[in-house]
Amino acid sequence: MNGATPASAPQETDDLEDLFENAPCGYVSTLANGRISKANRTFSTWTGYDPEQLVGRRFLELLNIAGKIYYETHFGPLLRMQGFFNEVALDVVRADGTILPVLVNAVVRRAETGGIRFIRVTVFNASDRRRYERELLEARRTAEQASSALQDLNATLEARVVERARALDRAWRLSQDLLVIAGADGVLTAVNAAWTDLLGWQASDLIGHSFEAFTHPEDLAATQAAFAGIFEAPLTQSYEYRLRHADGTYRWFAWTGALEHGEVYATGRHTTAQREQAAVLARAEDALRQSQKMEAVGQLTGGLAHDFNNLLAGISGSLELMQTRMSQGRLGDLDRYINAAQGASKRAAALTHRLLAFSRRQTLDPTPTDVNRLVTGMEEMIRRTVGPAIHIEVVGAGGLWPALIDPPQLENALLNLCINARDAMPEGGRITIETANKWLDDHAAQERELPPGQYLSLCVTDTGTGMPPEVIARAFDPFFTTKPAGQGTGLGLSMIYGFARQSGGQVRIYSEVGQGTTMCLYLPRHYGSVDPEGTLFTHSAVQRAEQDATVLIVDDEPTVRMLVTEVLEELGYTAIEAADSGAGLKVLQSNVRIDLLVTDVGLPGGMNGRQMADAGRLMRPGLKVLFITGYAENAAVGNGLLEPGMQILTKPFAIEALASRIKNLVTD
Amino acid sequence: MSVIQQHNVKLAGTGPIAMVFAHGFGCDQNMWRFVAPAFEDAFRTVLFDHVGAGGSDLSAYDPEKYASLDGYADDVVELCRALDVQGGVFVGHSVSAMIGVLASKKAPELFNILVMICPSPRYINDGDYEGGFSEAQIAELLDFLDSNHMGWSQAMAPIIMGNPDQPELSDELTNSFCRTDPDIAKRFARTTFLSDNRADLVEVKARCLVIQCSEDIIAPLSVGDYVHGNLPNSELVLIEATGHCPNLSAPEATIAAIKAFL
Repeated sequence: MNGATPASAPQETDDLEDLFENAPCGYVSTLANGRISKANRTFSTWTGYDPEQLVGRRFLELLNIAGKIYYETHFGPLLRMQGFFNEVALDVVRADGTILPVLVNAVVRRAETGGIRFIRVTVFNASDRRRYERELLEARRTAEQASSALQDLNATLEARVVERARALDRAWRLSQDLLVIAGADGVLTAVNAAWTDLLGWQASDLIGHSFEAFTHPEDLAATQAAFAGIFEAPLTQSYEYRLRHADGTYRWFAWTGALEHGEVYATGRHTTAQREQAAVLARAEDALRQSQKMEAVGQLTGGLAHDFNNLLAGISGSLELMQTRMSQGRLGDLDRYINAAQGASKRAAALTHRLLAFSRRQTLDPTPTDVNRLVTGMEEMIRRTVGPAIHIEVVGAGGLWPALIDPPQLENALLNLCINARDAMPEGGRITIETANKWLDDHAAQERELPPGQYLSLCVTDTGTGMPPEVIARAFDPFFTTKPAGQGTGLGLSMIYGFARQSGGQVRIYSEVGQGTTMCLYLPRHYGSVDPEGTLFTHSAVQRAEQDATVLIVDDEPTVRMLVTEVLEELGYTAIEAADSGAGLKVLQSNVRIDLLVTDVGLPGGMNGRQMADAGRLMRPGLKVLFITGYAENAAVGNGLLEPGMQILTKPFAIEALASRIKNLVTD
Repeated sequence: MSVIQQHNVKLAGTGPIAMVFAHGFGCDQNMWRFVAPAFEDAFRTVLFDHVGAGGSDLSAYDPEKYASLDGYADDVVELCRALDVQGGVFVGHSVSAMIGVLASKKAPELFNILVMICPSPRYINDGDYEGGFSEAQIAELLDFLDSNHMGWSQAMAPIIMGNPDQPELSDELTNSFCRTDPDIAKRFARTTFLSDNRADLVEVKARCLVIQCSEDIIAPLSVGDYVHGNLPNSELVLIEATGHCPNLSAPEATIAAIKAFL
């Protein structure tokens, strides 16, 4: 090779020129004084300056203000001393004012004589690198901030813990409730200041002792149970008991508590004052109830006295007139007065009956009863009672269960319901009498205040005026009536209610104003059959007995004894009288023949009629007994569940009824 | 650590009078490498680094103390007293020219002569006063320094690198050639460029030489005129040189000017 040919020299120059102009970096040459003598096309393109604009300017004039200052104070001196610098990060301000981040290398080129020929400045575009550096810087700043925040947290953690502990301590100290921590054995390990305020004990009096030592003896067992319960489940429904004050008195506290890490944490709220208030309130309520009761009793007795006086006036007036007529020998007029007196007596008897029914102290004679048959038997009478304007419809359920009730009372109740229905339909309408079997589940039974089970219902529905809720709410109250004065006693529904409840059933009202009312009687099912003979009364005429019999009559009321004795004599029986249970028992324990004992239930002499009868039966098994009773002693005679050979008759009674019963018993 | 060690003091020369060289913002005592030797025959030369620069004890840097030029001036007074400087010559470059003014005010006995190379009593323009920078430009500089910590750290990297082409310099360069802690440099910049010592000039008792470069963006001609005009006893010399460092770019002219004045 002979080296470069002459022809190749210009080519080489072109090549080098191209290399210089289009290098991937900016080339700038400056004189010793820093003025630019040459810049390549790359630098010119990057900065937006024409090469001609650049020549003659100082390189540092192209930098931002910080670059200018640092170039003068740092890099310029460095270049002078060292002859070069590398990788200096600077910002070049482009012709359009924007910034070009660059890395700059510079080297001093010296002549052989030592003088500076030029300074070669190489400029690298550092946009990407600067962005990367900024990201790193930002990341480091974030990390430093996080680290600093963590250091702050560490530094303040202790203080925060202390502050938190102080806050908890304040809550503990300032609580108005008793706060306590106790071991599983009930020994107190920590108490707050409220114990001193409320109970007078110092912490030293309490800690190390069981709560039991401060518990009222009457509350101890229950409190121990409540404490044990905390080990099963947190005590959230407060439990109240009495704690002893240092002065020996007791205070009530309502406690809640929970178990944690084997220790019981509990809070006790002072409730003594609350309880005293409640007691005062209860006493006030009692007093109010008592006064209401007295008012009701006053109303009742006043009303009764009025009614009875009227009836007594009728009876005594009739008796006086009878006496007058007898003294005048006008015996033909007696019947009128006798009828009048008897009518008044019957009304008086009916009134007391209703009163007893309302008080649920009437003497019931429950019998298994076919209610459908009872209703059918009543239908004609009801029809006549309500009149032609009202249509009666009877819907008797097939296979209706028998009910265990006192049939005359049910008849009475049904009639009463129908009369009420009639009065609710002054313009006429329809009454539907319906029976049905009912299964009352827990829910339905609870709603009707009955034990769950089988019942039958007897409902009377009218198409009348209906009742608003406030009337329904008071419908069963005695003496409550919506009828005009003199048309209703206000005892009808309360009597039905008393009868239903006493029979183990219920009454319910379903009513809509303007639509009508349904009254339903729920009666307990009787598990058994019904005597096909029926239970309706058949009053046979009193006839003289065909056989001799001796009847012991025990009653403390001489008029009753006299009346019964006369009936017995009418029947041709021998009567033995006794005025109390002691005398009666003496007769029973003697050898005297007794075919029947007729006795009152309520008797003086240490025993009631039933006890005397039972004692008599020890000597005389199968002794027949007829109890005649006014009221209240139905429990004594077994709530109507009498042993065979025993029967019951309620005072007042018709002489016919008494005679018929006695005769049946004696001859049976 | 003694104040001598703390400032990395380098003594040379055998003359009876002390000549103290103080570097400015941006470098260290290496700035004087082309100038100081010229005076060793007639003076006892004292070279040192300000705390925070070059081979000084960086641990002695107290941001509060060095937030004003007084802190640096106190160091000069302490240092010179430790070296028993009296009636000496103080040569200060750039901001150190003002540090010399403050030191001589604090201890007038130290220096009979102040040589100020490219001095500036205030860098920011103020009314009729032309400091060379607007307030906005200095704010931009300080913002830039605050937000480009890492960039400037990178920029400093070559400064502490050796010079493979000149192995005889490598040790010197590797260890302390214009070495600057970027964070301290940033604070020094703030102290420098926000300083205003115009009022101190009139109180200077010493004879002063003001050396001004013909083309210096940091201390323009107007500033040189101002300094000269306000010093009670001064001489102004203009050197034909670009830049802020005639001690490096035009050492012969600088030496000649100083010698002529002395």
